[in-house]
Amino acid sequence: MSELLYIKDLKVYFNTEEGVVKALAGVNFEIVKGSFHGLIGETGCGKSVTGLSILKLLDNNALIEGGEIIYKDENLLDKTEKQMQKDFRGNEIAMIFQDPGSSLNPVFTIQDQIQESVKMYKKASKQEYRNIVIEELKKVKLPDVEGLLDKYPHQLSGGMKQRVMIAMMLACNPNLLIADEPTTALDVSIQAQFLQVLKNLKDKFDMTVLYITHDLAVVSEICDYVSVMYAGRIVENVPVRELFKNPVHPYSYKLVHSVLGVKTFLEDLEEIPGSVPRLIDPPSGCRFHPRCEEAIDICKTKVPQLKKIGKNHYVACHRR
Amino acid sequence: MSNRKKYWTNKIIRTIITAIGVTLIAFLILHLTPGDPARIMLGSYASEENLEAVREKYNLNEPLHIQYWAWVSSLAKGDLGTSIRYNRSVNTLIKNRIGPTLVLTLTGLIISVVLGVVMGILAALKRNSWLDYLTTVQAIFWISIPSFWLGILFLYIFGLQLRWVPIAGMVSYTSVILPALSLGLRQEAWFARPMRAEMLEVLNQEYIRAAKAKGLKYYIVVTKHALRNALIPIITMLALRLPWIIGGSVVIEVVFSWGGIGSLLVNSVKARDYPVVQAILLLISIAVVLANLFADIIYTWVDPRIRTEG
Repeated sequence: MSELLYIKDLKVYFNTEEGVVKALAGVNFEIVKGSFHGLIGETGCGKSVTGLSILKLLDNNALIEGGEIIYKDENLLDKTEKQMQKDFRGNEIAMIFQDPGSSLNPVFTIQDQIQESVKMYKKASKQEYRNIVIEELKKVKLPDVEGLLDKYPHQLSGGMKQRVMIAMMLACNPNLLIADEPTTALDVSIQAQFLQVLKNLKDKFDMTVLYITHDLAVVSEICDYVSVMYAGRIVENVPVRELFKNPVHPYSYKLVHSVLGVKTFLEDLEEIPGSVPRLIDPPSGCRFHPRCEEAIDICKTKVPQLKKIGKNHYVACHRR
Repeated sequence: MSNRKKYWTNKIIRTIITAIGVTLIAFLILHLTPGDPARIMLGSYASEENLEAVREKYNLNEPLHIQYWAWVSSLAKGDLGTSIRYNRSVNTLIKNRIGPTLVLTLTGLIISVVLGVVMGILAALKRNSWLDYLTTVQAIFWISIPSFWLGILFLYIFGLQLRWVPIAGMVSYTSVILPALSLGLRQEAWFARPMRAEMLEVLNQEYIRAAKAKGLKYYIVVTKHALRNALIPIITMLALRLPWIIGGSVVIEVVFSWGGIGSLLVNSVKARDYPVVQAILLLISIAVVLANLFADIIYTWVDPRIRTEG
């Protein structure tokens, strides 16, 4: 199996007024070329930070403490801002963001914003650009494409904005698309439609997708592989069928079993006791141990490493 | 569409009401200020007869409301009245003087906006660097110095000591440099700080991150995506600062013997030359009110969220 992206022991800290927040404390996973890779975890566990780290678009107070992000045999963490801009952002790796409303510039037309992506690698006449933008918008199945060109973001609905956002990023021709909870701002009815569009595009243009979400239902629907994240660490890397059939890490188990629809009886629905730890002062050892029923002494002192337990299946737990 | 029509009708009516209010206030303040224009014109040894003749000629003995009405009705005909001091039509006086003032205020305005915006952008981009601190220090420096003193200082250094520019009057194109700088630098501070704040705010927006994620060059992200958004509030700022620039130009004109409206105003106030002062105040207030109207128009033009409501 060939991996497109390989993240090894990534550590990202944030300087805040309250102190240093250890948002990522060793993230390890790889994304298989052509796959739909899910990154799942609770809010605040560091999913988005992981996504932004890949493009090196973290906020100013972020500090990449260590690790490697290997993309096509090159460590992105060694690249300068200029190299990232020229060689990676857009043309290799693009990203769609959580809130399409704030991710499109309010003062430029849809055409202008998509055209910008095209302009970077293609010189064309005004009319040609217009046609290209129309094609890009058709790809994401937007209705009345011509009428959209001269509209501004605030004139579109949330679902349309999210598609414009994808069109804008796809117009860059990326190999890897990072999607950071792209359905959060959408109505449930539009979510399914949106996912279908995304999946079709991925297959058609031979892309690889890193899909960041907290929604297991979405993961079960479209992902090939899943990385389960807890409080800044990956606890399990697993093919999606395995995750639902046989979640190995206690957190993955709880996560799968806390979702309605996986079990038929409501009584069996479980909730995970406790809450997500504050990352400014995280628990020692395995960060899940205060909420874990199976925790033993070693869990409190030693950080468990990912170990292989099956084909493409890794888990970080002292009890497994 | 009808909404927008209503909005503009409203705006224009309010503009007119404001202008009328200003004429009234300008008139009252002047006429209630102690000082007799006839006495100032003829000197302290003038006979009572002569004084009375002058007062009679310029309607100064009439009750205030009659005088006001007379002024307003000739205004409606486009006649600003006759100067008591120069005994000439105010229209001609102003026509002769407005050119230099426009040159001075516009140059000052351009200096303040261009410098302010550029400094604000640099300060935001190089946040917490020596450059950022330098722009802060210079802003506080200019804002703390009274413009007349700055003018005199400039005259002394660049005019008298270095002899780079003429020291007074309007003798060559370089004459405008010192007065415009004295005027503009002080106002520049008012643009630099808000521009920095706006820019910092905009640079933190998600659409800036998205623009970077597309792989756009840094300077395009800054000069196109960030700047266009950060400039929107600065337009309001511009309209708000215009009265200060005009006010500043009055002082500067006197310091630099600049033959414009400002120095005419100062001299006319000293002489209680009511028609001239009233006309200038009216003119300035119209300029300010119009500037605000223009700011509104530009606003809708640069911000599509206002232009294309609904």
